Amino acid sequence: MSARNHEQWTSPPKLAEGEWVDSRIYSDQTIFEEENEKIFKHAWIPVCHESELKDAYDFRTMTIANEPVIVVRGKDMQVRAFLNVCPHRGNMIERRPSGSFKEGTPSGTPKRMTCMFHAWQFDMKGKCVYISRQEEGYQDRLCTADVGLRELKCEVYFGGFVWVCLDDDIGMTVEDWAAGALDCLAPSLNEEPLEVFHYHKAIIPCNFKLWHDTNCEFYHDFLHYHNRITGFNDAYFARKNSGFKNGHINVGSFEVQYDNYEGFHSREELSFPHLPPNHWYMIDMFPGVNFNLRGSALRCDLMTPLGPDKVMIEFRGLGLASDTPAERQTRIDHHNSIWGPFGRNLHEDLLAVTAQGSCMHPSAEKRNILQGRHENETIHDENGMRHYYHEWGRWLNRSPSNPDEEFDEALIAAASAKPAEVQANA
Amino acid sequence: MAEKHASTIEQIKDVIYKSCLYQDDLEWNSWLDMCSDDYHYAIRAFSPEIRADMEYMGGGLEYMKSLTQMLPKHNTDNSPLKRHCTVYKVEVADDGKSASATSSFVVYQTMLDGINSHVDAGESRLFLVGRYNDKFEISNEGVKFSDREVRLDTRRLDKGSHWPI
Ligand code: FES
Ligand SMILES: [Fe+2]
Repeated sequence: MSARNHEQWTSPPKLAEGEWVDSRIYSDQTIFEEENEKIFKHAWIPVCHESELKDAYDFRTMTIANEPVIVVRGKDMQVRAFLNVCPHRGNMIERRPSGSFKEGTPSGTPKRMTCMFHAWQFDMKGKCVYISRQEEGYQDRLCTADVGLRELKCEVYFGGFVWVCLDDDIGMTVEDWAAGALDCLAPSLNEEPLEVFHYHKAIIPCNFKLWHDTNCEFYHDFLHYHNRITGFNDAYFARKNSGFKNGHINVGSFEVQYDNYEGFHSREELSFPHLPPNHWYMIDMFPGVNFNLRGSALRCDLMTPLGPDKVMIEFRGLGLASDTPAERQTRIDHHNSIWGPFGRNLHEDLLAVTAQGSCMHPSAEKRNILQGRHENETIHDENGMRHYYHEWGRWLNRSPSNPDEEFDEALIAAASAKPAEVQANA
Repeated sequence: MAEKHASTIEQIKDVIYKSCLYQDDLEWNSWLDMCSDDYHYAIRAFSPEIRADMEYMGGGLEYMKSLTQMLPKHNTDNSPLKRHCTVYKVEVADDGKSASATSSFVVYQTMLDGINSHVDAGESRLFLVGRYNDKFEISNEGVKFSDREVRLDTRRLDKGSHWPI
């Protein structure tokens, strides 16, 4: 058989359950809405970095699962998160992406969050401290104590990232949630304070999971000339992909040969603390977060799904807060050369997922998306994606390879075991 | 003063416009031939999100040369980018040996292969808005770029680009 007819093309591939997914999981409106409701509203999300709110009264705004969120640093230097929604008539309280409440606003006084609409004011702990013409309108029926902001679970963890969860009952800390997936980079990120030096965003016409998949699979080295020329050697092919509880994965490290690419140099001098020279670790966290440390620069991607075929990706680059200006410039150069919006790899990755998105729009026919490579869980094994979709299936109670059916834990567990001949070589 | 340097100012405007045409046509060698040996290029923007100045790309002449020479090795969005640039201000130093210029630009992208070419190819989109802050060395051999800062207003960069702006 060479090229296939429609029936052959749409039949299940000659792979085990769990080794492919149905493309409708990347295009279906109902599934997208379920993901927001059942996953994003119940997961810890690293919404920003503490260096974006250095001083008391600094704030940052963002969105999780369509809910507007504000993160503020109080007078006590504690970082807290709230819904960025006014308890009066539901206006968005703060419209700027970031700033300080130290200065007053046209409707309000300094050191308060003020809703511009009718000038209700809140302190940095979310307490309502002022209702305009309160007694005239509410007499003794409603007072400031009744109309505080909705506070959200918030933790500063893992090198100063600010994590927020919309679910009061998540019942676990970020450390529990990470389940060991952050351990490989924790010594490097926790040694001294970090600082964000890069932020940009992309809105891409594809499903958010296609970006996460791309971060989870390295078989796409064939997309990147840079990876092939600086990577492909025995140590590279021995890099391990490991799964952790809650759907997270790690990609193990090796020493990158940056000198092999024209115009690139070793990053040894500016390695993050405790990181061997030119090493490269990657952490992919469920449901759509990536931490990527290439020697001297840390990158963090945060995915915000905007539709079944639309995702916003926020890219951050971080260095050490103690960097001299010259050190910082070098880190920025290293970061940008591969990962910047004009860098070698990022543009290629974004092109590829855009092209995938073009083939998986909401009315496209279902296709089988293969993720069945087994290579002893090393770099070109697709076990990272399989691990993710195992978790995804559990959260939505849908089979990733047939989303109309319920998730069958036993069936998928059997398939995610390594095939016998691969195990024998391990 | 302006009168004294009137012809230099015109010369500098010509140089900027000529460089735009080279960039539009992906004639990277000709573009970089207009630059001095100590040339530096950078794309920068202020982020109201992290409230900091950022650099998105940067390097000296050698780096820019290797970057442009490596382009054929990379998968890229080949949708043409065309600049509309207006030189707003040119200031020539008293001694006439250096100058600076501020230009405003927009870059349009005419879709070719970046998304689904059957649908999108041929459509022109606004890609970037910003300014060129240029510096020049002036000698008997003429005017050469010694520094270019591309200051972007646009920060939602979507797929981005491999091409210097
Ligand atoms: S809606 Fe905020 S004060 Fe009325
Ligand atoms: Fe990639």
